[in-house]
Amino acid sequence: MADFVQLLVNGLAIGSVYALAAIGFVIVYSATGVVNFAAGQFVMYGTFAGVATLINLQLPWPLAYGTALIIMAMFGVLFFVSVYLPMRRGSIVTIIIGTVAISITIQNAALLSFGSWPFRLPSPVEDSSIALGGTIISTHALGVVGVTAIMVGGLWLLFNRTSVGVGMRAVAQDLQAAKLMGLKVNRLLALSWVLAAVLAGVAGLMLGPMWFADVNMGDPIALKAFAATIIGGFGSLPGAIVGGLFVGLSEVLGASYVSSAYKDLISFGIMIAFLLVRPQGVFGEKIQDRG
Amino acid sequence: MGITRKSFIGSIIGVAALSFTGSVHAQQNAPILIGATVPMTGPLSLTGKQYQNSLAMAEEDINKAGGINSRQIKIVFEDTQASNSTAVNAFVKLAQETKPAFFFLSSYSTQNLAVAPELAKVQVPAMYAGGADAVAEGGNEWMFRVRPADSVAAEGMVKATLDVIKAKKPGILYIQNDFGQGGAQTAAKRFEAAGIAVVGMEAYGQNDKDFSAQLLNLRGKGADTILIFNYPQDGALVLRQAKLLGLKMPLVTSSAALVPAATQLLSPADLEGVWGVVDAYMDVSVGGRMKDYVERFKSKFGIDPDPYGLAYYDGAMLMADGMRKVGTDPKTLRDWLEAVKGWQGIGHVYSYDKKGNGVRDLTVVKAKAGTKTLELVQPVTLN
Repeated sequence: MADFVQLLVNGLAIGSVYALAAIGFVIVYSATGVVNFAAGQFVMYGTFAGVATLINLQLPWPLAYGTALIIMAMFGVLFFVSVYLPMRRGSIVTIIIGTVAISITIQNAALLSFGSWPFRLPSPVEDSSIALGGTIISTHALGVVGVTAIMVGGLWLLFNRTSVGVGMRAVAQDLQAAKLMGLKVNRLLALSWVLAAVLAGVAGLMLGPMWFADVNMGDPIALKAFAATIIGGFGSLPGAIVGGLFVGLSEVLGASYVSSAYKDLISFGIMIAFLLVRPQGVFGEKIQDRG
Repeated sequence: MGITRKSFIGSIIGVAALSFTGSVHAQQNAPILIGATVPMTGPLSLTGKQYQNSLAMAEEDINKAGGINSRQIKIVFEDTQASNSTAVNAFVKLAQETKPAFFFLSSYSTQNLAVAPELAKVQVPAMYAGGADAVAEGGNEWMFRVRPADSVAAEGMVKATLDVIKAKKPGILYIQNDFGQGGAQTAAKRFEAAGIAVVGMEAYGQNDKDFSAQLLNLRGKGADTILIFNYPQDGALVLRQAKLLGLKMPLVTSSAALVPAATQLLSPADLEGVWGVVDAYMDVSVGGRMKDYVERFKSKFGIDPDPYGLAYYDGAMLMADGMRKVGTDPKTLRDWLEAVKGWQGIGHVYSYDKKGNGVRDLTVVKAKAGTKTLELVQPVTLN
């Protein structure tokens, strides 16, 4: 039982990170119709923004985190201007290839800037843990779950209780109608990219102390976030959260109770099953043609 | 005045002879080209950069010492990334365009296995550092290993577990590839031969970042020691997570977890109760050529050297020795390498067998209490 609780917390912590990456994925897709294959590199970039502010600049915690997230917001704007705007009239294939190419570029830029050696990103709670009976639970892992819950709550408030959030949802639902209603569509689209980048930044900052900061960390996260959105439902925010947590838990619990050698097969096998049986995922709507 | 046929033919022959002599002279002065396929980008570059640096240092040292009988050497690098197909493409590109007299292949067995058939076609001697026994068992006469084979490393880990830690119920955690599986199976057989039952064997993927399930499973099965067959970054992550999960049993790692690229990620607490089998004990306290190598490498590249890089440096020096003695003819050089016995490198004593295995010595180390300094527990030499 003690081991189960320990695994459960670990699975939820990893799932929370996948969920945040998946939410970023979904926000961009809903608003712009772009499947951002650089989503994993956004998370990696967030981790390295932390490396820059915490390790290189040695800033105190709140300032370091704040600066890292501002860097990520600026990165979101830059991505919107230099990648999305030039490509938005291109075909789906062009956009996919474009984001894959940008993903490789970001990764190699990080390699050139930071080198091949990974970094140990510190955590505000260091390596502290909570002992409950025979269970030792990492404080950082609990913090990751808590921060993700706060972020999800904040997103709900943004999308349901603010005019900006309602505007973003309007743009996501019908861009032409939003334009006719006088909404500043480009600004709202840019905000979607900023939001995705900031969420990825939060995920990256939380992931760094757990996994080390490594320029190659993006691709596995992108794959898992992609699986999470398929399982939860493409375009659904609740789906991204549930899908992310599900992938994290299935990874950890599958390795423990089924087979450590086939744990990825379990996650991706479930994703394939969804694609075959219920392509809209758990929360998604029936898939229709989309521009 | 017309040109006679005789003078015309004479002048043609003269020009041809002059150009031939010129080209022979140019060839004599041209550097000897060496090909090196190295993971310079991607997750494997963690160690790849180390042996790229070591080979660059070896090139400089060989040329400073007069080169190969007055001819300089030039190492041409190609990136293998973390992919077997990229490794093959890198090798083929070098073989076709650069046509090197000698090759250095990567330290990753899967890449070595992928490149082996191409090397057999090219028929040029090559040194490699992948540990999988499968590479040597493939019977490619052109391949020479510059590190201990995984079976040797696994035996060393078993020896440390039985003789030093005196474990009775070992568990094994391994990375799921040729290296990890081969090492884990060898270790399991050695334990069985010693009358010790392995309580559990757990695997993980090369891109995995969470090992809590595997570690807790082994603890649940009653493991009193865990042997870990790992690469550098995952090895560091396993050691760290073991501590976070409150595991108290000794851990015995393969060499990659104790290279500087990995230990810089760990705290002294992470290394408590950690033993390891490293290719070579690299410390300035060893003195002599080891001290010189460690100090020069650090001042040149700004980072600590590791045993993988040292193996390539030794390999390059051995290659240069062979070229000075028997020249660059591939077959003659290959035969000379196969006959090498007791060649004293900085990290190892090299004696090659028919399968191209040259190293049988390694070192058991342990982190000094409360520090990240590795101390020598015992050297191990195996047959």
